[in-house]
Amino acid sequence: MSMDDFADLSLMQLADSFFPSGLYTMSNGLESLYMQKRITSPEQVRNFIEVYFLQQIGPADCVALVNAYDFVEDNDTNALFDVDESIHKIKLIKEQRDASVRSGRQLAKCLTSFLRDDLLDKYVQAISSSKTPGTYPVSIAIAAKLFGIPKQKAALTLFYGFAVSVIGAALRLGILQHFEGQKILNELKPMIGETVQKYIDIPYNQMWQFAPQLDIIQIHHERMDSKMFIT
Amino acid sequence: MSDRIPRVGIGGPVGSGKSTLIEQVVPVLAKQGYRICIISNDVISKEDAERMRKNLATQQKLLPENLVIGLATGGCPHTAIREDPSMNLALIDEIERDHKELDLIIIESGGDNVTTTFSPILADYFIYIIDVAGGDKYPRKGGLGIESSDLLVINKIDLASQVGADLSMMEHDAKRMRKEKPFVFVNCKSDVGIKQIAEHIIRDVLFEQPPKALLHQR
Repeated sequence: MSMDDFADLSLMQLADSFFPSGLYTMSNGLESLYMQKRITSPEQVRNFIEVYFLQQIGPADCVALVNAYDFVEDNDTNALFDVDESIHKIKLIKEQRDASVRSGRQLAKCLTSFLRDDLLDKYVQAISSSKTPGTYPVSIAIAAKLFGIPKQKAALTLFYGFAVSVIGAALRLGILQHFEGQKILNELKPMIGETVQKYIDIPYNQMWQFAPQLDIIQIHHERMDSKMFIT
Repeated sequence: MSDRIPRVGIGGPVGSGKSTLIEQVVPVLAKQGYRICIISNDVISKEDAERMRKNLATQQKLLPENLVIGLATGGCPHTAIREDPSMNLALIDEIERDHKELDLIIIESGGDNVTTTFSPILADYFIYIIDVAGGDKYPRKGGLGIESSDLLVINKIDLASQVGADLSMMEHDAKRMRKEKPFVFVNCKSDVGIKQIAEHIIRDVLFEQPPKALLHQR
């Protein structure tokens, strides 16, 4: 098998909702907005995802991922852990921070069950000894590098996984039906490509996120008595 | 692996008595000195976790309040305990890191159907609970929960006469479907059968190890 084929198949494996990272438990605030009747249509779901892409996933998570990917390539664990700490700290909402590290840690543990790599072992040990948080974007970067997936495609996976998570939540909440979900995914492709290009060379000390309304919605979700989703 | 705390998974249909079973079994184990944590996988609300916390922690003081934990599952209770138990495992990692004193973790599944099973990486022992009000055909119809669980619990036997359920037929079918595997008739509203379930846990999950707290006193 060619290296390219292996990398392509690995990309499918990583992007598949069958891959165990727990993303299906997250609505990223959509549940709150639906309960408040502020999002009730597929169009609004798409807009909701786009705001996240532009204000959080692009400038924060994507920047963390591409920098982590480079540091894995350089075998620079100190810098890798620094990126991990930075993306963890930039997430203002506890539910979001917890969800990111829980997914990231389980992803890394899953990789250790079938991949042998010194840097991966160091990362998992550092998580166990609380030396690094183990966030989802950093774990995805490590997985992508070990699978031979190019950095740009790894970044695409991050956006795709987020979109699938929110659209899956919208399906289960009854906001849209399955054809509409696929239509939204298709419509988001140009924006995903453009946003990755925008942030692929940005150093992590320029990482930012600014979506105060979404943060407030997430705070509200933390306090909801009755909920289906972790975020 | 030595830090792994034994885990019991409890699954069963909505309303079969999973939370009530936990509320009955935990006092029996806690009074023998076992320290327990409960993770309640919620389908839609925190009600079960909050009820168990109030009863077992706040009122009976059998465990700390922060060791009754509700976990949302995105409306996918079976996925959360089998296909992708990441969120449960992540939570258990944190519990095992911070609470080495624990003897047992109980994981309650959200209410689900007869095909429920726990991933073996998540639970060491799987209790499946049904109730007679769901119909006496349940054991005969089989399904992964009925057939493959380590212990089948048949609850609400006090209602059998009122719903026209034939307990002897359920017993016959349970034996036939489960071969040598055990099953227990219980009434979670009283204590009928509860001691037997606690004994199964102590023997088959804890391997009759005394509570850690007692070991440390010696």
